[in-house]
Amino acid sequence: MIKNLKKVLPVLVLVGMVAAWFQASESTRRYLKHIGKQVPYLPYRYFI
Amino acid sequence: MSDYDVIVVGAGLGGLTTAALAAKSGMKTLVLEQSDIIGGCCSTFEVDGYKFDVGASIVEVIQPLERLFEMLGGKISDYLELIPCDPIYSFITDDGQRFSIPTDIDETTELVKRIAPEDVEGWHRFCDKGLSMIEEMMDAVMLSPMNTFSEAMQLGMKNPQILKFAPTFARTHQGVIRSFYKNPVMLQSAAFQSYFAGAPPELGSGVFGYIALSEHLGIYYPRGGMIGIPNGIAKAGMDYGLEIKVNQKVEKLLMENGTAFGVKLENGSEITAKLVVSNLNAQVTYLKLVGPHNLPGWAVKAIASYSNSMPCPMIYVGLDKKPDLEAHHTIVTSSLESMNDVWNNFYKMGIIPETAMSLVCWPTEADPSLAPEGRHILNFLCNAPAPYAPKGDNWDRLKGWYKDAAIKELETYVLPDARDHIEYIQVSTPLDFERRLLHPEGGIYGLFSDMTTLAMFRPRSRSKAVKNLYLTGSSTHLGGGVPTTVASGIVTAKYILKDFG
Ligand SMILES: Cc1cc2nc3c(=O)[nH]c(=O)nc-3n(C[C@H](O)[C@H](O)[C@H](O)COP(=O)(O)OP(=O)(O)OC[C@H]3O[C@@H](n4cnc5c(N)ncnc54)[C@H](O)[C@@H]3O)c2cc1C
Repeated sequence: MIKNLKKVLPVLVLVGMVAAWFQASESTRRYLKHIGKQVPYLPYRYFI
Repeated sequence: MSDYDVIVVGAGLGGLTTAALAAKSGMKTLVLEQSDIIGGCCSTFEVDGYKFDVGASIVEVIQPLERLFEMLGGKISDYLELIPCDPIYSFITDDGQRFSIPTDIDETTELVKRIAPEDVEGWHRFCDKGLSMIEEMMDAVMLSPMNTFSEAMQLGMKNPQILKFAPTFARTHQGVIRSFYKNPVMLQSAAFQSYFAGAPPELGSGVFGYIALSEHLGIYYPRGGMIGIPNGIAKAGMDYGLEIKVNQKVEKLLMENGTAFGVKLENGSEITAKLVVSNLNAQVTYLKLVGPHNLPGWAVKAIASYSNSMPCPMIYVGLDKKPDLEAHHTIVTSSLESMNDVWNNFYKMGIIPETAMSLVCWPTEADPSLAPEGRHILNFLCNAPAPYAPKGDNWDRLKGWYKDAAIKELETYVLPDARDHIEYIQVSTPLDFERRLLHPEGGIYGLFSDMTTLAMFRPRSRSKAVKNLYLTGSSTHLGGGVPTTVASGIVTAKYILKDFG
């Protein structure tokens, strides 16, 4: 049961994220896109 | 043996604050400023008897200044006079309403009852949550070093009451204000302040959503112009032996084995010091003064990942007549959506927004001595960004057109016969601003600010990439603004005193 849940969980999270994206306003999407582009730099920014 | 203990590059508020505190602690300290006046963005210049402010037009949240002068052994009033400005703003809304927001919270409640009765409850919640947050975070967050997770954790452990406000940093400015208001005019009245932190309401950190409330704690104008603030800090520092030299442009940092030991000036001379503090845009500090060849690869990648804050043209006007205004600041606002639109569909696209004017400052209301007898000053700006490089054109060519657009707006909103009463007018474009203060791309707040570029994600006050290099000002700590840059100067001084004191 737990094994199955572990398999299904990432799919559920992904589905949830896709659903949230489609429900979000244009403005929220722009915000999420902006933050998404910044996140990869955070480990570098933290040290400078 | 070094010439000085501390050299500070740049006499902006952050630089002067750190310098004055270092001098107070007995360190031999020198400030080098490239322009002919101190203060950087918070300064004042004189033309034909008119004293115009370079950029900043008001100080709100004066606690960091109070704390600074206490640390320097005095109080603000020993060094400068702050004139309270009330009402906070006079508004001209997109649907033609005109009203003023008073400082007093009860009087503001009466105003909200009149213009947006459905938001009275939201206004009360805004006050309840915001005032306790401002009070509890002021000293703890603004004046504490926050370069690392461990410092942030220590801060949280020492001040557990502030932890409940942490999610506010991760929300957006518009998310915060929408949780209190529904009425479009109320939203407008609290949204445009996101541009005070250099971002549109949909991107700016939620913590700046409370600026509209912090203004009710008082907004002030220094007698003699905004330069009164840097002059006051400089004077306090000079009482402890601080030296300040203007017209001294620093070209390079003197470096050996990854350690800073002084500066090289444009005129070729070299001055050595035990440590160097840079008050410049952090990208200029690392990529020009230090140079990529003196930096590890990760540091170059990190510093290059930031973008500059927005530029914003300013217009300085001298009038031979009193303008028909009600407050130190008049705001010509538009809907929250259009504030985001200016960013997405104009600024980001290289298009200059249709309006040249949205924030009009009338400093001679507070201090008539800024202009010749019977004359007045208006400094105004579009409280939204304009591109540094307009598509297919450049600001030197567009200056005349922009001036004309500005006069037309002045005639529409402030003075119908403005043209007949303008004695002096100057447009400061992003290019002019870059030339005056050497701010790359004319950015007015150092680096862009949002939740991914503040506090521990903004360049550190104590450099990890270059030994004995410290940074201060709007590229560090909590970003641009008079209170935040003074706070950054205090934080940088705390690191220096810990390391060398
Ligand atoms: C148009 C505008 C309006 C604003 N309005 C407000 C407001 O109303 N209220 C508010 O709180 N804040 C306002 N701000 C923000 C606030 O003024 C700034 O964030 C703050 O003053 C910046 O301080 P700083 O320490 O970062 O130094 P800066 O002001 O950036 O100063 C840096 C100094 O370094 C000098 N320099 C640069 N290169 C060199 C070099 N190579 N060698 C030597 N010196 C060098 C520059 O000449 C400058 O004097 C405004 C800013 C602008 C531009």
